Amino acid sequence: MTFRTLCLLILAVAIPATSIRAESPPADGVAFFENRIRPVLVKHCYECHAADSEEVGGKLLLDSRDGILSGGESGPALVAKNPDDSLILQALRWEDLQMPPDEPLPEQVVNDFVTWIKLGAPDPRTHEATPTSDPVTKEKAEPSLWSLQPRTKPPLPDVKDADWSRDPLDRFVLSKIEAAGLKPTDDADSRTLVRRLHYDLTGLLPSIDEVEQFVDAHSRNREQAVEQLVDALLARPQFGERWGRHWLDVARYGESNGNDGLGRNPTFPHAWRYRDYVIASFNADVGFDRFLTEQIAGDLLPHDSPEQRDRQLIATGFLAMTAKPAKAMNTNFEMDVVADQIDVVSRGIIGLSVACARCHDHKFDPIPTRDYYALAGIFTSTETMWGTAANEGLTAPVTDLHVLKAAPNVLPPEGFVETVLVLESNTGKPKAIPKPKWPLGTPLSMGVRDREKPADCKINIKGDAKKLGDAVPRGFLSVFPDQLTESIEIDGKQSGRLQLAQWLTSPDHPLTARVFVNRVWLHLFGNGIVGTPDDFGVYGERPTHPQLLDHLATRFVAENWSIKQLIRSIVLSRTYQLSSDATEERLKADSANELLARHNRRRMDAESIRDNMLKASGHLDLQPGDGSIIRHRDILVNLAGSLHQPSDQRSVYLCYLRSSPPPELAAFDLPEFTSVTGNRDLSTIPGQALHLYNSPFVIEQAERFSRLIQSQNDTDESRVRLAFRQALNRDPDQNEVAQAAELVRLTKADLKSEDKAWASLCQALLVTNEFRYID
Amino acid sequence: MNYSRRHMLQTASCGFGYLALQALCGDTQVMAASEGLATQSPVIPARAKRVIFLCMSGGPAQLDTFDYKPQTGNKKHPGSVFRFRQHGDSGLWISELLPKTARHADKLCVINGMYADTGIHAQSFLQLHTGDRLRERPSLGAWITYGLGTENQNLPGFISLNTSKSSIYSSAFLPSIYNGTPIGVNGEDMSQATISNVSSDHLPLASRRQQLNFVQQLNREHLAQRSGDQQLESVIQSMELGFRMQAEAPGLLDLNTETQATLERYEVGQHNESTGTCRKSDFGRQCLLARRFAEAGVRFIEVNHGSWDQHKNHRRDLQANCEATDGPIAALLEDLDQRGLLEDTLVVWGGEFGRPGLTPEDGKDETGHNSNGFTFWMAGGGVKAGHVHGKTDGTGARAVEGKVHFRDLHATMLHLLGLPANDLKFWHAGRDHRLTGPEGGNVVHDLFA
Repeated sequence: MTFRTLCLLILAVAIPATSIRAESPPADGVAFFENRIRPVLVKHCYECHAADSEEVGGKLLLDSRDGILSGGESGPALVAKNPDDSLILQALRWEDLQMPPDEPLPEQVVNDFVTWIKLGAPDPRTHEATPTSDPVTKEKAEPSLWSLQPRTKPPLPDVKDADWSRDPLDRFVLSKIEAAGLKPTDDADSRTLVRRLHYDLTGLLPSIDEVEQFVDAHSRNREQAVEQLVDALLARPQFGERWGRHWLDVARYGESNGNDGLGRNPTFPHAWRYRDYVIASFNADVGFDRFLTEQIAGDLLPHDSPEQRDRQLIATGFLAMTAKPAKAMNTNFEMDVVADQIDVVSRGIIGLSVACARCHDHKFDPIPTRDYYALAGIFTSTETMWGTAANEGLTAPVTDLHVLKAAPNVLPPEGFVETVLVLESNTGKPKAIPKPKWPLGTPLSMGVRDREKPADCKINIKGDAKKLGDAVPRGFLSVFPDQLTESIEIDGKQSGRLQLAQWLTSPDHPLTARVFVNRVWLHLFGNGIVGTPDDFGVYGERPTHPQLLDHLATRFVAENWSIKQLIRSIVLSRTYQLSSDATEERLKADSANELLARHNRRRMDAESIRDNMLKASGHLDLQPGDGSIIRHRDILVNLAGSLHQPSDQRSVYLCYLRSSPPPELAAFDLPEFTSVTGNRDLSTIPGQALHLYNSPFVIEQAERFSRLIQSQNDTDESRVRLAFRQALNRDPDQNEVAQAAELVRLTKADLKSEDKAWASLCQALLVTNEFRYID
Repeated sequence: MNYSRRHMLQTASCGFGYLALQALCGDTQVMAASEGLATQSPVIPARAKRVIFLCMSGGPAQLDTFDYKPQTGNKKHPGSVFRFRQHGDSGLWISELLPKTARHADKLCVINGMYADTGIHAQSFLQLHTGDRLRERPSLGAWITYGLGTENQNLPGFISLNTSKSSIYSSAFLPSIYNGTPIGVNGEDMSQATISNVSSDHLPLASRRQQLNFVQQLNREHLAQRSGDQQLESVIQSMELGFRMQAEAPGLLDLNTETQATLERYEVGQHNESTGTCRKSDFGRQCLLARRFAEAGVRFIEVNHGSWDQHKNHRRDLQANCEATDGPIAALLEDLDQRGLLEDTLVVWGGEFGRPGLTPEDGKDETGHNSNGFTFWMAGGGVKAGHVHGKTDGTGARAVEGKVHFRDLHATMLHLLGLPANDLKFWHAGRDHRLTGPEGGNVVHDLFA
């Protein structure tokens, strides 16, 4: 039985119960309806409750008799002859429901409805109500959304120039280029390639020695040189720092809650453990399926050692990083947390936006409200542990935390107050510091665990936790083929997170692998195969190369979800190694480079600009960060002033406080980290220039860089040469030497300062486009 | 889809300039088309080109400023406790606390029927700025800059003075180019506050120019080898814009070029004492900066003063708040008028809600919050002058006529700027968003001259 026939059956049963089914209404009743009721419905209700409404509120149609009688999400809108049991009257009286939403109708009008219902609700409007079709039915009827189709293993397309390809993936690219009557551009030269590979795989530019070595090896044996370099870079710990950072954007990783809507922003003193977990997982090449499972259900997985137990508990921090709106006056608080968890899983992992279904069936994507609450039940059966929220109960209640077993106890420095700046919200005076639950220095972690009594979740009508509908059995999205779910059964005594992870990482899941390989592609090419990495839904973009996407996704799953293997295959492809130069002809033919007949030139991200400035200045400290500057601070960031401190470590270890980003990074489109960010903005704004000209960080690096230059060479020319090699990985030409020397000479003459003159040159090199862009 | 627009922003010369040009050409169709709105959006003639928002945080007491509620009948009831008088040809009622503003009564369009959803400060304050009570959403100024760009290529399009927190001036999911530029955040000393990294003294300006010449030389050579890369081209231009901003913004921020008379008229540097809830905000400097930014073509300027949340000492603290703002606002209106700027500058005054009235002679001096009825006023920018719209009931407890919600206020402001309020949208996280929210706002045409 399809859902639709089921609905019709229910309808057929429901109508006789109202006892006016096929009777023609009495004539005076009709007159009453026409004079007193219909005009009100038309004026105040049809906007949202008619078949042609833009969005039918609560699935309730009031423009036909059947619509009113069969009702919407909350049930039949009226019970004939019984006004007090009729929902429509409760709404008109502004009781539990409040309609119309702007203000109540005059009492006289409401009384007319009472009269009308007492009359048996005579209603001559006979045209068939067209209930909003159930999206599941709709989707199954027209299985059109490309991304929900089973993944295929497309055969390699035929190409004219069969020798061109180095990796099977190249065939998919080339066939499209050839079909467009074009040819791919030339290969990138070895200097360009080594810079690109270093940047893409580690986020750091090569040293001049690394460039020279590669250029030399490349000239002798191209293939071997590239493979050796790629393998060496994949093995560096900086790989995990680079790619871990990409995942942290998806995971909306932040070290504080962010503004709770009341201006309060409590720290997450233990969030950094999740950061370290992510970096270590990328470095260890943990399979992506396992990686996801640990983040969603690590607490439910078996473990062989305390270390493994700790790691798996820390992984569930993924679900605890919610940017929570304040608890105060917010009856939906718990469901707001659940909404974020559903969002990070749905947009982050399967590229579908499910959030809208919290209040109504998704307008565009095939996600009904029931599915939302099927997922919600998994998370309402889960206890989320964010910690003390700075002991500010108006922001969020204090929760438990995972206590780690293998991680060392780290005491705060002597004289350090673990909890500071907790103020009484009324008086602004310091509160008594609550006694911590654990001895000072206990290793703790954010995360989740199952509630003692897992239970299904009731539909929150229109997203309001106070208006409850039916409970929905815990489960997954219904739009996917049944085969995907039939072997997965949620144990009623558990939350269902483990099964959710199982479902997401099922080898046949059409989206998980597609979405992730697209994320990887995006970071290596600047654009995804699907241009909207977090939205593979109806309104997301379509893949430029659907077969390539499937080829990569299928390969990814077949190769045990190995991220390093995936990246390795892509960067060894011919497509990846193309030059980014474009002839005018090519630009004209494909300005957006959808055919991938060339590489895309990219701007370094905020972290890389900082890291590579530090590297050029000779002061980059490659030691991984140890904890966080807020690891012992349970405080409200908004009251603390700037917590950031200068550091020479890589940017990924800076303190990613929401609403208070590290000042060295803020200028270059750093996201807010409050929700999934698959693709950072790329604005070009004058604030960036101001940062480059005047920020204390850039000026300091320029000064350090200049001391390095001045200490190692004596003639101006050799100093200039060294500066270019250090910053831009190349020798300057004669012209550039002359210009640089001239800048130094002029500045020296004007300011009578050798130091300032060289620092000016060094700053100049660090702010050039050549430094900040990757060909 | 916004992709084309987003792409355009990334590649267009400095974004700002391009959009400004687009706006100046009245080419809202381009914007509409790229937003998927296509032809149904009407092109509205703009009445205003820029906005100065005088944000009175904390909930100004409307019944003792602009919404006169005299006692009626025999029994004392809540109402105005300060004296009111009619002013100007229009006969607008204005309280004795605002004698200087009152001289400009004939410029004001008072909205007495404002109402809001909540009496919680932070939520209502956020809603006033972004349309949403709980979540970080693009601020009014960001939406307007998104819609119109900016007039001055040397300055940001949206500047927020003495602002409280970033969610108030955030571009949120709009491209970051529309983010407000804060001047003076988190209780900094407003008399010194400036734009982040706008200057430093590590090199004198002449040396910086030489340095930039060298940088741009390298950039142009770099570009020549990569011809046709618009992104690189736009960076070259934004480096110049940043340089000009370095040159222009500190000058704009430096009030030494103003005459002593002007500084005194604006009361710059005065009111340096906090009185109860009234914090020192150097409101005179803010208003004078606002005029200078408006003259320089900044699209949306917000100035802030507070807190008007005088619970316990209503009379004393309200008086202090009024004293601190009355002169500067009067000076601002006077200057805008004299310089012909008031015609196309929309000045908006108000806070997140209002306050219930005190009952005269009952000895109480404590007020709370009232979101059911309060006052905003506008001036210039195509609104009626010397006009009162809407009213509250006899005690000022709730708006009863000409009700205006923040959504409607937003829609009206956008409309005056030539932006079709409910059609100015941005696609984010699976749906279109707009300043006026899912409900949409009603343009209050009665306010228009």
